[in-house]
Amino acid sequence: MAPRSIWNGTITFGMVNVPIKLYSATESKSVSFHEVHAKDGARIRHRKICPKHDKEVKADDIVKGYEVAEDEYVVLTKDEVKAAAGDRGKVIHLEEFVDASEIDPVFFEKTYYLGMRDEGEPYAVLHAALKRSERAGIGRFSFHDREYLVAVRALDDVIAMHTMRFHDEVVSGGDLDLPKGGRKPSADEVKMASKLVDMLERDFDPSEYEDTYRASVLDLIKRKAKGEEIDLAAQEEPEHGDDLAAALEASLSGSKG
Amino acid sequence: MARALWSGSLSFGLVNVPVQLVTAARDLDLHFHQLHERDNVRIEQRRFCSEEDVEVAWEEVAHSYDLDGKQVVLTDDELGSVEPRKTRTIEIEAFVELADVDPIYFDHPYFLVPAGEAEGTIRAYRLLVEVMTRTERVALGRFVMRAKEYLAAVRVRDGALELTTMRFADEVRPTKPIPTGKAKAKSKAVENAVSIIEELTTEWKPEGCTDCYRERLERVIRKKRKGGTVKPPEPERQPKPAPDLMAALERTLDGVRKGAGIEKVRAETANGDGDELEGLSKGELAERAKDAGIEGRSKMSKKELAEALEDA
Repeated sequence: MAPRSIWNGTITFGMVNVPIKLYSATESKSVSFHEVHAKDGARIRHRKICPKHDKEVKADDIVKGYEVAEDEYVVLTKDEVKAAAGDRGKVIHLEEFVDASEIDPVFFEKTYYLGMRDEGEPYAVLHAALKRSERAGIGRFSFHDREYLVAVRALDDVIAMHTMRFHDEVVSGGDLDLPKGGRKPSADEVKMASKLVDMLERDFDPSEYEDTYRASVLDLIKRKAKGEEIDLAAQEEPEHGDDLAAALEASLSGSKG
Repeated sequence: MARALWSGSLSFGLVNVPVQLVTAARDLDLHFHQLHERDNVRIEQRRFCSEEDVEVAWEEVAHSYDLDGKQVVLTDDELGSVEPRKTRTIEIEAFVELADVDPIYFDHPYFLVPAGEAEGTIRAYRLLVEVMTRTERVALGRFVMRAKEYLAAVRVRDGALELTTMRFADEVRPTKPIPTGKAKAKSKAVENAVSIIEELTTEWKPEGCTDCYRERLERVIRKKRKGGTVKPPEPERQPKPAPDLMAALERTLDGVRKGAGIEKVRAETANGDGDELEGLSKGELAERAKDAGIEGRSKMSKKELAEALEDA
């Protein structure tokens, strides 16, 4: 079955218009719970209360306010928020392209897939050109009354679109103030550590990594459903080794064995 | 430096490097509060029991899961019992090639910084940075933060160890079901598209991209605070695909080869005669004039704005 699209629009580069549909590329599979009252198992309802009169407030009587000074709010209507989203509507203009591998992945935030709409040919041309050139198109995308910077690239047989963090939202290594000075790792230590890296070298296969926490929560739910008593076990801490070279050596001999 | 969100150790074979986790992404979004329209008082969300109509404190909240129609209730303590044992260690399980990990798997970025000033700690940290830089590898491991186990990728960025939480394989949707039309792109069309892309390729400079949304929102807030009114612009209409794709590609390529910016190529061809400014309101013209950096725009009439923009 075809997945449900969440938006449709048009990508342009120059005079070429590519009608597209948007799909979520990721979904959280974390186990989600409903909040209930422990005493009687009844569902918790969240109520919106105005603390001034201690009364519940209807959704129609709630507005969006931005705090400009303590307790001073500027209230914005839906239209005013829309005004900030700009005038691009449902059009994503790709105005420049960059080498896709040049963009550090830290800039990528959320990923979507783009599927074709109405006509397959423009989509096929854009996909093939992105793939062959190994470039990503940079543009702006308006979604739910806000505008995002996006990178559009070929991924397998589809076009993927990443919303991006802005440069001032990314912390750089220089901001960290890492301790300087002290002794550098010795050539021997680097050699041993490199060996250890080689031993642990694998091909990346994401399916090898299961969400074991999710599995154990689901297992817990099943045990509880059967009426099992749950053992509330304590946690333990690892110890820190002090001698770097000795620890590396021991790791290497352990891996060999 | 940023506040530590987690502290523990990064474990690599039998080497343990005491580290702290700090965020690598700042949230610069403008956040709004929900207000009661009548008195501008901030709304509070409170929990109520749907059976008894009484407010419920957080300590009295349990978690319910619908297991095939049967409601299973778990307390915080019971949920805590399945947290993995080694909650303070990021154990490196494997090293993979950085280029093999598609960024679609990356979720939230953090930095790992050495915890404390001990010489051994700092040296072990540097050793990892050096070895991972040399080998262009990324380390994969697991760790537990806020009662959830994460798969994490540790790699070097700017001379520091960056840890990015990762999505599990089944959290990334397959691309197969996405409709692509499976149309065959004509090779001449693809060649032209590649040439257009190459003409328009620049170096990736993130500093060149500012958050226009944030800036506009700040402007709207300032204007509104002074008692002004703000109207949303008319959204751009969705263009239809060109009836002749090949011709559109060729004309675009011609335009960009002549050194015209892609917006100009588009504007010239969209309306033929380039007077797309005619249909715009004064506010929209002023907005474009601002984007184009036109001086003295606040004193201009609608006609003057349009003329200034045409000359720009």
